[in-house]
Amino acid sequence: MQADTSPDASIGAPAEPVLAVEDLTIRFHGQSIDMIDGVDFSIEKGKTLCLVGESGCGKSVTSLAAMGLLSRKAATIRKGAVRFKGRELLALSTREMEKLRGGDMAMIFQEPMTSLNPVFTVGEQVAEAVRRHRRCSRSEARERALEMFRRVRIPAPEKRLDDYPHQLSGGMRQRVMIAMALANDPALLIADEPTTALDVTIQAQILDLMRELQEETGAALLLITHDLGVVGEIADDVAVMYAGRVIEKGTVQAVFSDPQHPYTLGLMGSMPSLSGGRGRLMTIAGSVPPPALMPAGCRFATRCPFADDHCRTHRPETTVTADGHGFACFKAPLEMLVGGEAA
Amino acid sequence: MLSYIGRRLLIAIPTLIIVSIFVFSLQKILPGDPVLAMAGEDRNPETLEYLREKYRLNDPVIHQYFYWIGGALQGDLGISLRTNQPVTQLIAAKLPVTIQLAIMSMIFAFAIGIPMGILSAVKKGTVLDYVANIVALSGLSIPNFWLGIMLILLVSVNLGWLPASGYEPFFRDPIRSLETMIMPAFVLGTALAATLMRHTRSAMLGVLQADYVRTARAKGLSEKAVILKHTFRNAVLPIVTLSALLFGELLAGAVLTEQIFTIPGFGKLIVDAVFNRDYAVVQGVVLCTAIGFILMNLVADVLYVLLNPRMRQAL
Repeated sequence: MQADTSPDASIGAPAEPVLAVEDLTIRFHGQSIDMIDGVDFSIEKGKTLCLVGESGCGKSVTSLAAMGLLSRKAATIRKGAVRFKGRELLALSTREMEKLRGGDMAMIFQEPMTSLNPVFTVGEQVAEAVRRHRRCSRSEARERALEMFRRVRIPAPEKRLDDYPHQLSGGMRQRVMIAMALANDPALLIADEPTTALDVTIQAQILDLMRELQEETGAALLLITHDLGVVGEIADDVAVMYAGRVIEKGTVQAVFSDPQHPYTLGLMGSMPSLSGGRGRLMTIAGSVPPPALMPAGCRFATRCPFADDHCRTHRPETTVTADGHGFACFKAPLEMLVGGEAA
Repeated sequence: MLSYIGRRLLIAIPTLIIVSIFVFSLQKILPGDPVLAMAGEDRNPETLEYLREKYRLNDPVIHQYFYWIGGALQGDLGISLRTNQPVTQLIAAKLPVTIQLAIMSMIFAFAIGIPMGILSAVKKGTVLDYVANIVALSGLSIPNFWLGIMLILLVSVNLGWLPASGYEPFFRDPIRSLETMIMPAFVLGTALAATLMRHTRSAMLGVLQADYVRTARAKGLSEKAVILKHTFRNAVLPIVTLSALLFGELLAGAVLTEQIFTIPGFGKLIVDAVFNRDYAVVQGVVLCTAIGFILMNLVADVLYVLLNPRMRQAL
């Protein structure tokens, strides 16, 4: 279920994950702390991992780094590994990375309204992705684009092929993006908040479509979202990020039913009922501190009701339980603490 | 599309009427009396009166305007007060010269300005970007006449590679024609290249930030395809509009450049006409230039629509 190196964490012989991000550490130029600090997670074939966290926590940066789309002018990957089917991506040349991108690993973005080039027809844009990764003629690529339009259930696909992006609605454009991403049967699809910019009804349709296509193709899905409702609906596993660190991860059941990190608890807006009917204990007060004020220890310490001096100065390592539920908090398990405080 | 061009042409008509009124007013506003200039030493009132009658200068101004514009619509722009040749004929003789100069300057401007703009945007913040910007700034700051004179000194006088002045019609002797034209075209083109480079750079920088450029990279396209196809194809839109405006700058620059290289073109025609109070010629040349400028803008607008599917649908 996860790729932690802790000896007691593995269940049986784990299959090789499609994507494994290990200790990924990224610093933006001109900043004094690492924007992404030791991020670890992995996704297996056919599984969906949701990367959750509030805006600016580094979800998108992590995914862009995995795709090799992070501008070298803006940031440096200081350490860590991104392994795709066992291949270390960070060591690949630009050429090799181009071959993977849009082929075996594909990505769709948050803003369907601006993610398609306004001066080319959507058919051309999908066919272009096909031609880049397959040896085929223009008409074969167009055929494939048409087939993909059918699969993402774009109505009247033959006509839509020759439409320009501005002629389509946001939901249709996102379907085009999905068609483009899946056109070359990728083993991994990264979706960065694919439904955030869409109407609620369209959101559900797009999520259903993605789940369906994933079942058909067996692709691994890395879904980035801040919407816990989406996570509950679609994910197998979840990794919660806060200020550039993964602070809790595990199966959806484990994390949702028994959250261990105060931030996860805050995200869910509730505390376990173990506190003995004292009602809700907390929401997340304050905001993420700016890089200059980030505590040296646990990055959540400035907003955590349980934090003490130790938390502020020492970095909590990830503890992983037997069922693969990992969390990085000195105070976990929180039940004891909450009970103690209540007393 | 055709109806769009038709509509744009209709819109051009009021513009042209306003321009024609302005051009006509020139002779009324400018100091000096053309009749005195024509009569020369002979200040006999009868002669002056005869000339005024002959050229209808005693008619009400409105009548004079309609007389002039009526002729202009039939291709008759009057007679040069100095040479007695029809103005249309004078213009027809000089126009090809300036058109050749304009085309060659534009080629220089595009060939230098656009690649430099793309490169400096892609390599933003590198030495190459700084060098390109310094070159562009120099191009903008160095006056045409100075660059022209320096080039004549270097290339013609010292090296003897190219003729310093003169003109040869392109269809009579293409090579000789290019030889005489290449330096003036370069001088005129560099100033425009600098403007083009600056605008290409900023347009490219804007588009490079676009989400769809990231999508293009996410598809696995090579950097070349990302830049030249997905980015430049969008960045070119403002450049099309700019080019039409640069055409005006080009015509203004041609006046000076033609003087320096003694090219018998439009610029020289208008300068001579102004100095000689040859109003008919001044009016004709300015009217022609205005029509040319309006046409260039029309072409740019049509191109813009052709290149921009979002506009096509709005037609």
